[in-house]
Amino acid sequence: MNNNEAKFVLGAYRANGRDAGDPTFGAAVAQAKADPALGAWLARARAHDGAMAAKLNEIMPPAGLREAILAGARASRAPKVARRFPTMWFALAASVAVLLTATFALWPNRGAASTTQLTAFAREDTAHGTHGGHGEVEGSLQVMLSQPSNRLSAGVPVDFAALRATGCRTLNFAGHDVLEVCFQREGAWFHCYIVNAADFPAMAKDTAADFEQKAGFGSASWSDGVHRFVVVSNAGLDAVKRLL
Amino acid sequence: MSNEVFTQLVDAHYAPLYRFALSLAKRPADAGDLVQQTFFIWATKGHGLRELSKAKSWLFTTLYREFLHGQRRDTRVSSLEDLPPGESDVAAEDVDRATRMDAASVVAALQTVDEVFRAPLTLFYLEDLSYSEIADTLEVPIGTVMSRLSRGKAQLRAALEQEEAAAKSKIVPFTGAQGRKHS
Repeated sequence: MNNNEAKFVLGAYRANGRDAGDPTFGAAVAQAKADPALGAWLARARAHDGAMAAKLNEIMPPAGLREAILAGARASRAPKVARRFPTMWFALAASVAVLLTATFALWPNRGAASTTQLTAFAREDTAHGTHGGHGEVEGSLQVMLSQPSNRLSAGVPVDFAALRATGCRTLNFAGHDVLEVCFQREGAWFHCYIVNAADFPAMAKDTAADFEQKAGFGSASWSDGVHRFVVVSNAGLDAVKRLL
Repeated sequence: MSNEVFTQLVDAHYAPLYRFALSLAKRPADAGDLVQQTFFIWATKGHGLRELSKAKSWLFTTLYREFLHGQRRDTRVSSLEDLPPGESDVAAEDVDRATRMDAASVVAALQTVDEVFRAPLTLFYLEDLSYSEIADTLEVPIGTVMSRLSRGKAQLRAALEQEEAAAKSKIVPFTGAQGRKHS
Protein backbone atom coordinates (compact mmCIF):
# COMPACT_ATOMS: atom_id res chain seq x y z
CA MET A 1 0.00 0.00 0.00
CA ASN A 2 1.53 3.32 -1.00
CA ASN A 3 0.67 6.62 0.65
CA ASN A 4 -1.92 7.58 -1.97
CA GLU A 5 -3.74 4.29 -1.39
CA ALA A 6 -3.52 4.83 2.37
CA LYS A 7 -4.99 8.33 2.01
CA PHE A 8 -7.82 6.92 -0.08
CA VAL A 9 -8.74 4.42 2.64
CA LEU A 10 -8.19 6.82 5.52
CA GLY A 11 -10.55 9.29 3.90
CA ALA A 12 -13.37 7.14 5.26
CA TYR A 13 -11.94 7.04 8.79
CA ARG A 14 -14.18 9.02 11.10
CA ALA A 15 -12.58 11.79 13.13
CA ASN A 16 -14.37 10.73 16.31
CA GLY A 17 -12.38 7.48 16.43
CA ARG A 18 -15.35 5.15 16.13
CA ASP A 19 -13.58 3.25 13.35
CA ALA A 20 -10.49 2.55 15.45
CA GLY A 21 -11.29 -1.15 15.73
CA ASP A 22 -12.15 -1.64 12.07
CA PRO A 23 -9.51 -3.87 10.44
CA THR A 24 -10.12 -2.14 7.09
CA PHE A 25 -8.11 0.79 8.38
CA GLY A 26 -5.47 -1.20 10.28
CA ALA A 27 -2.72 -1.22 7.64
CA ALA A 28 -3.28 2.39 6.62
CA VAL A 29 -3.22 3.63 10.23
CA ALA A 30 -0.05 1.63 10.89
CA GLN A 31 1.53 3.18 7.81
CA ALA A 32 0.59 6.66 9.02
CA LYS A 33 2.32 5.96 12.31
CA ALA A 34 5.47 4.82 10.52
CA ASP A 35 5.59 7.58 7.91
CA PRO A 36 5.82 11.14 9.37
CA ALA A 37 4.56 12.80 6.20
CA LEU A 38 1.52 10.54 6.02
CA GLY A 39 1.03 10.94 9.76
CA ALA A 40 0.99 14.72 9.43
CA TRP A 41 -1.47 14.48 6.57
CA LEU A 42 -3.73 12.23 8.65
CA ALA A 43 -3.61 14.67 11.56
CA ARG A 44 -4.67 17.56 9.31
CA ALA A 45 -7.33 15.49 7.57
CA ARG A 46 -8.82 14.38 10.89
CA ALA A 47 -8.72 17.94 12.23
CA HIS A 48 -10.53 19.14 9.11
CA ASP A 49 -13.09 16.33 9.34
CA GLY A 50 -13.58 17.04 13.03
CA ALA A 51 -14.16 20.72 12.37
CA MET A 52 -16.68 19.90 9.64
CA ALA A 53 -18.50 17.43 11.85
CA ALA A 54 -18.68 19.96 14.66
CA LYS A 55 -20.07 22.66 12.34
CA LEU A 56 -22.64 20.32 10.83
CA ASN A 57 -23.81 19.23 14.25
CA GLU A 58 -24.36 22.85 15.22
CA ILE A 59 -27.26 22.95 12.75
CA MET A 60 -30.47 22.50 14.69
CA PRO A 61 -33.80 21.43 13.20
CA PRO A 62 -36.41 24.16 13.08
CA ALA A 63 -38.61 24.60 16.12
CA GLY A 64 -41.73 22.53 15.87
CA LEU A 65 -40.39 19.85 13.53
CA ARG A 66 -40.36 17.18 16.23
CA GLU A 67 -43.92 17.99 17.28
CA ALA A 68 -45.04 18.01 13.65
CA ILE A 69 -43.55 14.55 13.09
CA LEU A 70 -45.24 13.11 16.17
CA ALA A 71 -48.57 14.73 15.40
CA GLY A 72 -48.42 13.56 11.79
CA ALA A 73 -47.64 10.02 12.84
CA ARG A 74 -50.54 9.97 15.29
CA ALA A 75 -52.87 11.13 12.55
CA SER A 76 -51.62 8.47 10.17
CA ARG A 77 -51.25 5.69 12.74
CA ALA A 78 -54.30 3.87 11.40
CA PRO A 79 -52.93 0.89 9.50
CA LYS A 80 -54.52 0.23 6.15
CA VAL A 81 -54.88 -3.25 4.75
CA ALA A 82 -53.43 -3.36 1.26
CA ARG A 83 -56.00 -3.30 -1.53
CA ARG A 84 -56.45 -6.77 -2.81
CA PHE A 85 -59.11 -6.03 -5.37
CA PRO A 86 -59.23 -3.83 -8.44
CA THR A 87 -60.87 -0.47 -7.85
CA MET A 88 -63.99 -1.44 -9.78
CA TRP A 89 -64.83 -4.02 -7.10
CA PHE A 90 -64.51 -1.64 -4.21
CA ALA A 91 -67.97 -0.17 -4.49
CA LEU A 92 -69.47 -3.64 -4.49
CA ALA A 93 -67.31 -4.75 -1.57
CA ALA A 94 -68.23 -1.64 0.39
CA SER A 95 -71.90 -2.30 -0.26
CA VAL A 96 -71.53 -5.83 1.03
CA ALA A 97 -69.72 -4.54 4.11
CA VAL A 98 -72.51 -2.06 4.81
CA LEU A 99 -75.11 -4.79 4.41
CA LEU A 100 -73.21 -7.11 6.71
CA THR A 101 -72.78 -4.39 9.31
CA ALA A 102 -76.48 -3.54 9.13
CA THR A 103 -77.39 -7.21 9.34
CA PHE A 104 -75.26 -7.76 12.41
CA ALA A 105 -76.42 -4.51 14.02
CA LEU A 106 -80.09 -5.33 13.51
CA TRP A 107 -79.71 -8.97 14.52
CA PRO A 108 -83.18 -10.13 15.62
CA ASN A 109 -81.95 -12.02 18.66
CA ARG A 110 -78.98 -10.03 19.79
CA GLY A 111 -77.52 -12.68 22.02
CA ALA A 112 -77.88 -15.44 19.47
CA ALA A 113 -75.00 -14.44 17.20
CA SER A 114 -72.44 -17.20 16.97
CA THR A 115 -68.67 -17.16 17.23
CA THR A 116 -68.56 -18.00 13.53
CA GLN A 117 -70.55 -14.88 12.75
CA LEU A 118 -68.40 -12.74 15.02
CA THR A 119 -65.28 -14.05 13.29
CA ALA A 120 -66.84 -13.28 9.89
CA PHE A 121 -67.63 -9.77 11.11
CA ALA A 122 -64.06 -9.29 12.33
CA ARG A 123 -62.64 -10.63 9.07
CA GLU A 124 -64.83 -8.28 7.06
CA ASP A 125 -63.81 -5.31 9.17
CA THR A 126 -60.13 -6.21 8.87
CA ALA A 127 -60.47 -6.24 5.10
CA HIS A 128 -62.51 -3.11 4.64
CA GLY A 129 -62.66 -1.14 7.87
CA THR A 130 -60.91 2.14 8.56
CA HIS A 131 -58.74 1.23 11.50
CA GLY A 132 -57.30 3.39 14.21
CA GLY A 133 -58.00 4.41 17.75
CA HIS A 134 -56.32 6.34 20.48
CA GLY A 135 -56.01 6.79 24.20
CA GLU A 136 -53.57 5.78 26.90
CA VAL A 137 -55.51 2.65 27.84
CA GLU A 138 -55.50 1.41 24.26
CA GLY A 139 -51.82 2.32 23.95
CA SER A 140 -50.95 0.17 26.96
CA LEU A 141 -52.93 -2.76 25.60
CA GLN A 142 -51.32 -2.29 22.20
CA VAL A 143 -47.85 -2.48 23.77
CA MET A 144 -48.78 -5.64 25.66
CA LEU A 145 -50.19 -7.28 22.54
CA SER A 146 -47.08 -6.33 20.56
CA GLN A 147 -44.61 -7.98 22.92
CA PRO A 148 -43.32 -11.15 21.23
CA SER A 149 -43.00 -12.95 24.58
CA ASN A 150 -46.65 -12.45 25.53
CA ARG A 151 -48.87 -15.41 24.73
CA LEU A 152 -52.42 -14.15 24.38
CA SER A 153 -53.88 -17.43 25.58
CA ALA A 154 -52.30 -16.69 28.99
CA GLY A 155 -54.61 -13.71 29.38
CA VAL A 156 -55.27 -10.29 27.93
CA PRO A 157 -55.87 -7.49 30.46
CA VAL A 158 -59.03 -5.74 29.27
CA ASP A 159 -60.87 -2.91 30.96
CA PHE A 160 -63.72 -2.79 28.48
CA ALA A 161 -65.38 0.36 29.83
CA ALA A 162 -62.12 2.31 30.12
CA LEU A 163 -61.04 1.35 26.62
CA ARG A 164 -64.36 2.40 25.14
CA ALA A 165 -64.45 5.64 27.11
CA THR A 166 -60.92 6.75 26.24
CA GLY A 167 -60.95 6.42 22.48
CA CYS A 168 -60.49 2.78 21.56
CA ARG A 169 -62.15 2.08 18.22
CA THR A 170 -65.62 0.75 18.93
CA LEU A 171 -67.83 -1.11 16.45
CA ASN A 172 -71.29 -2.54 16.66
CA PHE A 173 -72.03 -6.21 16.18
CA ALA A 174 -75.53 -7.60 16.70
CA GLY A 175 -76.40 -4.57 18.80
CA HIS A 176 -73.41 -4.79 21.10
CA ASP A 177 -70.09 -2.97 21.33
CA VAL A 178 -66.97 -4.51 19.86
CA LEU A 179 -63.58 -3.01 20.67
CA GLU A 180 -60.82 -3.25 18.10
CA VAL A 181 -57.10 -2.81 18.75
CA CYS A 182 -54.44 -3.04 16.03
CA PHE A 183 -50.97 -4.27 16.91
CA GLN A 184 -47.84 -5.58 15.28
CA ARG A 185 -45.64 -8.60 15.65
CA GLU A 186 -42.96 -9.92 13.35
CA GLY A 187 -43.59 -6.96 11.08
CA ALA A 188 -47.21 -7.96 10.44
CA TRP A 189 -50.41 -6.26 11.54
CA PHE A 190 -53.00 -8.06 13.65
CA HIS A 191 -56.46 -6.87 14.61
CA CYS A 192 -57.88 -7.90 17.97
CA TYR A 193 -61.66 -7.69 18.43
CA ILE A 194 -63.06 -7.88 21.94
CA VAL A 195 -66.65 -8.32 23.11
CA ASN A 196 -68.18 -8.81 26.53
CA ALA A 197 -69.00 -12.50 26.85
CA ALA A 198 -72.14 -11.60 28.80
CA ASP A 199 -73.54 -9.83 25.73
CA PHE A 200 -73.51 -13.08 23.76
CA PRO A 201 -74.89 -15.93 25.87
CA ALA A 202 -75.05 -18.21 22.82
CA MET A 203 -71.26 -18.17 22.57
CA ALA A 204 -69.44 -20.64 24.76
CA LYS A 205 -67.43 -19.13 27.58
CA ASP A 206 -63.90 -19.97 28.67
CA THR A 207 -62.94 -21.83 25.53
CA ALA A 208 -59.63 -22.64 23.87
CA ALA A 209 -58.91 -21.03 20.55
CA ASP A 210 -60.59 -22.01 17.31
CA PHE A 211 -58.45 -21.25 14.29
CA GLU A 212 -59.66 -20.57 10.79
CA GLN A 213 -58.11 -19.61 7.47
CA LYS A 214 -60.58 -18.00 5.09
CA ALA A 215 -60.61 -15.41 2.30
CA GLY A 216 -56.91 -14.75 2.74
CA PHE A 217 -57.13 -14.10 6.48
CA GLY A 218 -56.09 -16.24 9.42
CA SER A 219 -58.12 -15.89 12.60
CA ALA A 220 -58.35 -17.16 16.15
CA SER A 221 -61.36 -16.95 18.44
CA TRP A 222 -61.28 -17.73 22.15
CA SER A 223 -62.79 -16.66 25.45
CA ASP A 224 -61.42 -16.15 28.96
CA GLY A 225 -64.90 -16.33 30.43
CA VAL A 226 -65.36 -12.56 30.71
CA HIS A 227 -64.50 -11.53 27.17
CA ARG A 228 -64.39 -13.17 23.79
CA PHE A 229 -61.48 -12.33 21.54
CA VAL A 230 -61.07 -12.65 17.81
CA VAL A 231 -57.70 -11.91 16.24
CA VAL A 232 -57.47 -11.55 12.47
CA SER A 233 -54.49 -11.04 10.19
CA ASN A 234 -53.53 -11.38 6.56
CA ALA A 235 -50.12 -12.64 7.71
CA GLY A 236 -51.35 -16.24 7.62
CA LEU A 237 -52.76 -18.75 10.06
CA ASP A 238 -49.35 -19.79 11.40
CA ALA A 239 -48.62 -16.20 12.40
CA VAL A 240 -51.94 -16.07 14.26
CA LYS A 241 -51.23 -19.37 16.00
CA ARG A 242 -47.89 -18.08 17.21
CA LEU A 243 -49.68 -15.31 19.12
CA LEU A 244 -51.39 -17.80 21.38
CA MET B 1 -45.42 0.29 17.59
CA SER B 2 -46.34 2.16 20.74
CA ASN B 3 -46.37 5.94 20.88
CA GLU B 4 -43.54 5.84 23.42
CA VAL B 5 -41.26 3.77 21.20
CA PHE B 6 -42.06 5.93 18.18
CA THR B 7 -41.30 9.08 20.16
CA GLN B 8 -37.96 7.60 21.23
CA LEU B 9 -37.21 6.83 17.60
CA VAL B 10 -38.01 10.40 16.55
CA ASP B 11 -35.97 11.90 19.40
CA ALA B 12 -32.95 9.76 18.55
CA HIS B 13 -32.83 10.44 14.84
CA TYR B 14 -34.77 13.48 13.71
CA ALA B 15 -31.93 15.98 14.18
CA PRO B 16 -29.25 14.08 12.19
CA LEU B 17 -31.87 13.25 9.58
CA TYR B 18 -32.70 16.94 9.28
CA ARG B 19 -29.01 17.81 8.82
CA PHE B 20 -28.70 15.17 6.12
CA ALA B 21 -31.90 16.39 4.45
CA LEU B 22 -30.73 20.01 4.59
CA SER B 23 -27.50 19.14 2.81
CA LEU B 24 -29.50 17.40 0.07
CA ALA B 25 -32.52 19.61 -0.36
CA LYS B 26 -30.79 22.92 0.49
CA ARG B 27 -33.97 24.68 1.64
CA PRO B 28 -34.94 24.26 5.32
CA ALA B 29 -38.61 23.85 4.46
CA ASP B 30 -37.86 21.06 1.99
CA ALA B 31 -35.54 19.42 4.51
CA GLY B 32 -38.27 19.47 7.13
CA ASP B 33 -40.70 17.94 4.65
CA LEU B 34 -38.25 15.17 3.83
CA VAL B 35 -37.82 14.30 7.50
CA GLN B 36 -41.56 14.30 8.10
CA GLN B 37 -42.15 12.17 5.03
CA THR B 38 -39.55 9.67 6.22
CA PHE B 39 -41.19 9.22 9.61
CA PHE B 40 -44.60 9.13 7.96
CA ILE B 41 -43.46 6.17 5.87
CA TRP B 42 -42.11 4.48 8.99
CA ALA B 43 -45.40 4.99 10.79
CA THR B 44 -47.59 3.77 7.96
CA LYS B 45 -45.54 0.91 6.57
CA GLY B 46 -45.77 -0.89 9.83
CA HIS B 47 -42.25 -1.61 10.97
CA GLY B 48 -42.25 -4.07 13.82
CA LEU B 49 -40.57 -3.73 17.16
CA ARG B 50 -37.95 -6.28 16.23
CA GLU B 51 -36.70 -4.05 13.44
CA LEU B 52 -35.82 -1.16 15.71
CA SER B 53 -32.16 -2.10 15.71
CA LYS B 54 -32.09 -1.35 12.00
CA ALA B 55 -34.12 1.81 12.27
CA LYS B 56 -31.25 4.25 11.80
CA SER B 57 -30.07 2.81 8.50
CA TRP B 58 -33.65 2.38 7.33
CA LEU B 59 -34.49 6.01 8.06
CA PHE B 60 -31.43 7.42 6.27
CA THR B 61 -31.99 5.12 3.28
CA THR B 62 -35.66 6.06 3.05
CA LEU B 63 -34.94 9.77 3.31
CA TYR B 64 -32.37 9.52 0.55
CA ARG B 65 -34.77 7.58 -1.67
CA GLU B 66 -37.47 10.14 -1.07
CA PHE B 67 -35.06 12.88 -2.03
CA LEU B 68 -34.14 11.05 -5.24
CA HIS B 69 -37.81 10.49 -6.03
CA GLY B 70 -38.31 14.21 -5.88
CA GLN B 71 -35.73 15.08 -8.45
CA ARG B 72 -34.47 13.83 -11.73
CA ARG B 73 -31.11 12.18 -11.39
CA ASP B 74 -28.26 14.31 -12.61
CA THR B 75 -26.99 12.83 -15.85
CA ARG B 76 -23.46 13.70 -14.86
CA VAL B 77 -23.47 11.12 -12.11
CA SER B 78 -22.07 8.29 -14.16
CA SER B 79 -19.40 10.40 -15.79
CA LEU B 80 -18.26 11.78 -12.46
CA GLU B 81 -17.50 8.26 -11.34
CA ASP B 82 -14.89 8.04 -14.08
CA LEU B 83 -13.00 11.11 -13.03
CA PRO B 84 -9.48 10.64 -11.65
CA PRO B 85 -9.05 10.65 -7.86
CA GLY B 86 -9.38 14.05 -6.24
CA GLU B 87 -6.59 16.04 -4.79
CA SER B 88 -6.16 14.61 -1.31
CA ASP B 89 -3.79 17.17 0.18
CA VAL B 90 -5.18 19.02 3.17
CA ALA B 91 -3.38 22.23 4.01
CA ALA B 92 -3.21 23.68 7.49
CA GLU B 93 -5.11 26.68 6.12
CA ASP B 94 -7.98 24.35 5.16
CA VAL B 95 -8.26 23.26 8.78
CA ASP B 96 -8.11 26.82 10.06
CA ARG B 97 -10.76 27.91 7.58
CA ALA B 98 -13.17 25.15 8.53
CA THR B 99 -12.66 26.00 12.19
CA ARG B 100 -13.24 29.75 11.92
CA MET B 101 -16.21 29.68 9.53
CA ASP B 102 -19.67 29.65 11.06
CA ALA B 103 -21.95 26.64 10.70
CA ALA B 104 -24.31 28.30 8.22
CA SER B 105 -21.43 29.16 5.87
CA VAL B 106 -20.07 25.62 6.15
CA VAL B 107 -23.47 24.17 5.26
CA ALA B 108 -23.79 26.63 2.38
CA ALA B 109 -20.44 25.42 1.04
CA LEU B 110 -21.46 21.79 1.54
CA GLN B 111 -24.61 22.41 -0.48
CA THR B 112 -22.56 23.44 -3.50
CA VAL B 113 -20.81 20.05 -3.65
CA ASP B 114 -22.22 17.78 -6.35
CA GLU B 115 -25.10 15.76 -4.96
CA VAL B 116 -23.44 12.45 -5.77
CA PHE B 117 -20.61 13.40 -3.38
CA ARG B 118 -22.71 15.44 -0.99
CA ALA B 119 -24.83 12.56 0.28
CA PRO B 120 -21.94 10.31 1.42
CA LEU B 121 -19.99 13.32 2.65
CA THR B 122 -22.81 14.52 4.88
CA LEU B 123 -23.41 11.06 6.27
CA PHE B 124 -19.68 10.79 6.96
CA TYR B 125 -19.59 14.10 8.83
CA LEU B 126 -22.67 13.23 10.86
CA GLU B 127 -20.42 10.46 12.22
CA ASP B 128 -23.35 8.20 12.99
CA LEU B 129 -22.70 5.77 10.15
CA SER B 130 -19.54 3.89 9.23
CA TYR B 131 -18.36 3.77 5.62
CA SER B 132 -19.98 0.34 5.21
CA GLU B 133 -23.28 1.62 6.64
CA ILE B 134 -23.09 4.59 4.28
CA ALA B 135 -22.63 2.12 1.42
CA ASP B 136 -25.75 0.24 2.57
CA THR B 137 -27.71 3.45 3.00
CA LEU B 138 -26.88 4.80 -0.45
CA GLU B 139 -26.93 1.32 -1.99
CA VAL B 140 -23.48 1.63 -3.58
CA PRO B 141 -20.29 -0.47 -3.15
CA ILE B 142 -17.85 0.38 -0.35
CA GLY B 143 -15.15 1.38 -2.84
CA THR B 144 -17.54 3.86 -4.39
CA VAL B 145 -18.18 5.42 -0.99
CA MET B 146 -14.45 5.87 -0.40
CA SER B 147 -14.00 7.32 -3.86
CA ARG B 148 -16.89 9.74 -3.40
CA LEU B 149 -15.62 10.81 0.01
CA SER B 150 -12.21 11.57 -1.46
CA ARG B 151 -13.66 13.55 -4.36
CA GLY B 152 -16.28 15.19 -2.19
CA LYS B 153 -13.76 16.41 0.37
CA ALA B 154 -11.67 17.98 -2.37
CA GLN B 155 -14.74 19.76 -3.74
CA LEU B 156 -15.74 20.86 -0.27
CA ARG B 157 -12.36 22.37 0.53
CA ALA B 158 -12.55 24.41 -2.66
CA ALA B 159 -16.14 25.40 -1.86
CA LEU B 160 -15.18 26.50 1.66
CA GLU B 161 -12.46 28.69 0.23
CA GLN B 162 -14.89 30.26 -2.23
CA GLU B 163 -17.54 30.71 0.43
CA GLU B 164 -15.12 32.50 2.70
CA ALA B 165 -13.83 34.69 -0.12
CA ALA B 166 -17.39 35.60 -1.08
CA ALA B 167 -18.19 36.48 2.52
CA LYS B 168 -15.13 38.72 2.74
CA SER B 169 -16.04 40.51 -0.48
CA LYS B 170 -19.40 41.46 1.02
CA ILE B 171 -17.76 43.23 3.92
CA VAL B 172 -17.69 46.98 3.28
CA PRO B 173 -14.74 48.53 5.05
CA PHE B 174 -15.58 51.37 7.38
CA THR B 175 -13.80 54.46 6.12
CA GLY B 176 -14.85 56.90 8.80
CA ALA B 177 -15.86 60.52 8.40
CA GLN B 178 -12.61 61.46 6.71
CA GLY B 179 -13.27 59.18 3.79
CA ARG B 180 -16.70 60.62 3.00
CA LYS B 181 -17.28 62.99 0.19
CA HIS B 182 -19.84 65.69 0.77
CA SER B 183 -21.70 66.69 -2.26
